[in-house]
Amino acid sequence: MNKTVNINLANTLFHIDDDAYNKLRRYLESIKRSFAGTKGSDEIIADIEARIAELFLEKMENERQVITHKEVDQVIDVMGQPEDYMVDEDIFEDEPKRTHAEPTSRAKKLYRDIDHKYIGGVCAGLEHYLGIDALWVRLIFILLAVFTSGFGLIAYILLWILVPEAATTSQKLDMRGEPVNISNIERKVKEGFDDVAEKVKSVDYDKVGNKVKSSSKTFFDTIGDIILFLFKVFGKFIGILLIIIGASTLVGLFFGLFTVGMFDAVHVPGIDFYEIVNTSGAPVWVVSILLFFAVGIPFFFLLYLGLKILVNNLKSIGNIAKFSLLGLWLISVGLLIVFGIRQAAEFSYTGSVNDKTELSLEVPSDTLIISMKDDAHMDYNRDDIHFGRMTFGYDENDNRILMSDEVDIKIRKSDTDSISINIRKDADGSSTPAARDRARNIEYAYTVDGNEIVLDKYLTTETSNKARNQEVTITIYVPENMTVYFDDSTSRYIGRGIDNDQGFYRSGMAGQHWLMGSDGELQCLDCPEDDDEDRDGNGKIIINEDGIDIDIKDNQDSFEMKINEDGVKVKAKN
Amino acid sequence: MNIENTKAQMRKGVLEYCILSILKDDDKYASEILGALKDAKMLVVEGTIYPLLTRLKNAGLLNYRWEESTSGPPRKYYALTETGQLFLNELNGTWDELRNAVNLVTNTK
Repeated sequence: MNKTVNINLANTLFHIDDDAYNKLRRYLESIKRSFAGTKGSDEIIADIEARIAELFLEKMENERQVITHKEVDQVIDVMGQPEDYMVDEDIFEDEPKRTHAEPTSRAKKLYRDIDHKYIGGVCAGLEHYLGIDALWVRLIFILLAVFTSGFGLIAYILLWILVPEAATTSQKLDMRGEPVNISNIERKVKEGFDDVAEKVKSVDYDKVGNKVKSSSKTFFDTIGDIILFLFKVFGKFIGILLIIIGASTLVGLFFGLFTVGMFDAVHVPGIDFYEIVNTSGAPVWVVSILLFFAVGIPFFFLLYLGLKILVNNLKSIGNIAKFSLLGLWLISVGLLIVFGIRQAAEFSYTGSVNDKTELSLEVPSDTLIISMKDDAHMDYNRDDIHFGRMTFGYDENDNRILMSDEVDIKIRKSDTDSISINIRKDADGSSTPAARDRARNIEYAYTVDGNEIVLDKYLTTETSNKARNQEVTITIYVPENMTVYFDDSTSRYIGRGIDNDQGFYRSGMAGQHWLMGSDGELQCLDCPEDDDEDRDGNGKIIINEDGIDIDIKDNQDSFEMKINEDGVKVKAKN
Repeated sequence: MNIENTKAQMRKGVLEYCILSILKDDDKYASEILGALKDAKMLVVEGTIYPLLTRLKNAGLLNYRWEESTSGPPRKYYALTETGQLFLNELNGTWDELRNAVNLVTNTK
């Protein structure tokens, strides 16, 4: 049983059953679509309808007969498929079907195919250009992006910027390598119209229409659709992510730039460090702006990319803008590299100046005391901001100077019977002489008071010398059998590599008396002989930068093990 | 290259000439034109003819008049215009030349 419909075809009434009606309607609609844009299409359709009516009448044995599938199929066989109606200027073109054009002699041009794009249409465009399916091109890009740490991404973005989109019909034909002639353009336009028309159709029509096209969806098509959908969702997610990253970075950079600019204008102390570090002569605001561009422009493109993913018909920012931004970025990066190289060059050579002095100290009780004080230059006011260990200070005349506590003390055995002291000053520069000059400009003082050497805690230098790893190394040569006492104030300044029988490392030596042995090793005179641990009776296990120190005591039994830079020492007692 | 396409294109190429020739002597309506073409195996499907007729009419080579039919909808009777007649004469000459040329080429092998 089936419902019937009454239709008026060329002013004649027909009874037609529902299925047959739908089939006929679709047939006529597809014919209409194939004539879309053709002059006099209404008339053609009317003629065709009249002919169909005539054919139906021929088949009817009586007026009450209902037209079914069978009759409609027969009529369609006689009339032909919509493609058969196409008689146009292209009748001699050997391209009746919408297949991909085989490579022709005509030079293809690379365009971005925005009709089949995922992101920017670069891959879809490459599909036409290279004749490789876009899926593979996309895979290659993704693999490149993953395995060459972003090269694929950069390449993609560059292509996106550089390759124009196929916007006009003639560009689209160029992209596919089809000759640009009127009929091809017309065909493209019609295809476009068909697409639109198909999309407007109801879901129901799409369903049956697909059947008519005898390309029923396979299981894999459905799977493909699902994957595609997931990809799109994923893409949108990435788009959102890109927008967030891009936008937040840009905002951050903008505020950063603004802040630096403000600091520069009002001379906030911290920013002065830039001046003492900087050598390239570029003012701070220039470098800030360059940094802003160098970092900001890629993020801007990320933002743009994100927007493009989210908004399909986003208007292009235009090639001029893209190229300018690219150019600006290249210039910024280039200049920063130049500045960077010049900056690095300032540190490429180290120069040192030695100043060795023999001291004739009266040393009562054979003890030399080494101490440090930081008020050698009256009151130092130290800013809290450091570049390395370099900071600003003010001398007694309130002149701003650079000061650093990069001061190391070393003790060596003297070859003679007298005490001597060597002050070595080091600094970096773009050449050895420059570095040596700078080292010479380091001011460092010590005083000798009775049997005490009082060292400055800070080296100072003029601000014009800039911060260039200035450092001072004090080596005190002590004759054999002399006792040296490190005042507690020296603890932070004792350099590494002083031989001592305790295996102490740097600061541990402060506060104790040491005797210079004949082999240059200092022997501790008043170090607590492992006694201090007895207090709790259980011993200790210490593992720190100095090594491993295990000391376990249980009444009469004890076990000791020390591993440090001197080697391994194990002692067990019963 | 699809042989069917080539055949169809060859036919389509001379279709206009054929239609004009059919209408040379007297007026005919679409079904009669179709019948003549189909008898001559010039046409495989009927759909092709309608856009052609409209095109020829729009080009001023054909005109038509409506005539009531006893068995069905009114019929469109097509007739050659004067331009159409001249056009046909021209095509006759061209066809002769073409036929000779094709014969010559295909027979000298």
